[in-house]
Amino acid sequence: MAGARLLRILARLEAGAATGPAPARLCEVCAEVTAMTGAGIMLMSGDVPGGSICSSNEVSALIEDLQYTLGEGPCVEAYQLDRAVLEPDLADPGVNRWVAFTPGAVKAGARAVFGFPLRVGAIRIGALNLYRDHPGPLDDDQHADALVLAGVAARAVLAMQADAPPGLLAAGLEAGSDLRSVVHQASGMVSAQLGVNVGEAFARLRAHAFAHDRPLTAVAKEVVARRLRFSDPSAPGLAD
Amino acid sequence: MPKEALLVRTLVELADSLVDDFDVVELLSLLADRCVEVLGVSAAGVMLVAPEGDLRVVASSSEAMRVVELFEVQSHEGPCLDCYSSGKAVLNEDLTAGRWPRFASVALDAGFRSVHALPMHLRGAVIGAINLFGTDEGPLSAEDVAAGQALAAVATIAILQQRVASESRVLIDQLNTALTSRVVIEQAKGVLAERAGRSTESAFEAMRHYARDRNLHLADVARGVVNRTLAPGALSAPRPQRPS
Repeated sequence: MAGARLLRILARLEAGAATGPAPARLCEVCAEVTAMTGAGIMLMSGDVPGGSICSSNEVSALIEDLQYTLGEGPCVEAYQLDRAVLEPDLADPGVNRWVAFTPGAVKAGARAVFGFPLRVGAIRIGALNLYRDHPGPLDDDQHADALVLAGVAARAVLAMQADAPPGLLAAGLEAGSDLRSVVHQASGMVSAQLGVNVGEAFARLRAHAFAHDRPLTAVAKEVVARRLRFSDPSAPGLAD
Repeated sequence: MPKEALLVRTLVELADSLVDDFDVVELLSLLADRCVEVLGVSAAGVMLVAPEGDLRVVASSSEAMRVVELFEVQSHEGPCLDCYSSGKAVLNEDLTAGRWPRFASVALDAGFRSVHALPMHLRGAVIGAINLFGTDEGPLSAEDVAAGQALAAVATIAILQQRVASESRVLIDQLNTALTSRVVIEQAKGVLAERAGRSTESAFEAMRHYARDRNLHLADVARGVVNRTLAPGALSAPRPQRPS
């Protein structure tokens, strides 16, 4: 009964309200209720990942970072297709999904990944990511709980934003979120270094991260710390 | 078309508005017209409560009905008002019994003999009421009351859901705008840091001061930096002097 599920989930959220900022608690509850190893919530807008609201552990954070960097993965797909995306056995050699995302996710320890779109009415605002460190599908209860959690998360995000001053992100959303400031700062720096627009600069950063098998955020930090410069417009992926 | 079939068809049409965008006045005009056809009354009308708290006539199945409903609202007296404030149906009241002296005389003059009202409510929230008037004195049958309540319920859900949806759309737009502004501000910090040889913190401070001094939005200043319409030198320029 959907109502009973919702009550149970809201009760868990209430119970943890004092332990930390709301978005972080949201992710913890998502992982606890579904008995997953970790959970994360990504915001997306027009097919572009906008940032991570929360991740319950480092592996979840990495799973989101990979999707952000590569533009593919269970959350991205769930958002784009507007339905649950389920991969119960990520390390299965027969699985050909997400050629770029999968190796990184498996290496980090994820063996099963599930994405659920965050919807408010007919509009999607992002996706909920659940992962497990061993393979196996979601059972009916976990699946049903995940659907309710995705709805609760979507409303929670909007409720937090409702209190924000106009034009600004709600303080509650900033705390505990990773909005990838360092990546955007690095894009700005590289765009000035190469004399290209920020979109092109972001693509260069991505290409460099991929070519060197490093997380995008790490590369961005190097750029902002001025340990890495891009100066050759004609050599994509290469830096000084 | 037999009444049961029309009732079913009306419920389906109302349910369609749960998934599609719709105009509230059109929906309630349809509701009023179908109430007349399905429920054995001569006229029907719908009142909704406005944000300010007063009831407004939104739809009436005939002009005569509209006049009486408007009078009801203006005189603060009548079946719809009682129904709205109590949240309960008002059924089979005798107009000559004196419950609504001014309203009754206007309704009787217009040719109506029986009046009923059904609440539009959902889990305790009453958003309005449906007026049902008849030209004879017959009571509303139990089946007709049930059919009327079903119609009222679906229309209520559709209206409430649409309100939530449009509030959500506004919030989502605000969220997206806030996120986009954040992104462009961070990008501008990088551009300015590189072009002016500063740290990203000091670049941010420079933009903030510039925005404040010239009464601009920080996001707009940032956009100027990223689009190269605002030169780094301009951001370090002294504040424009006011004439003394």
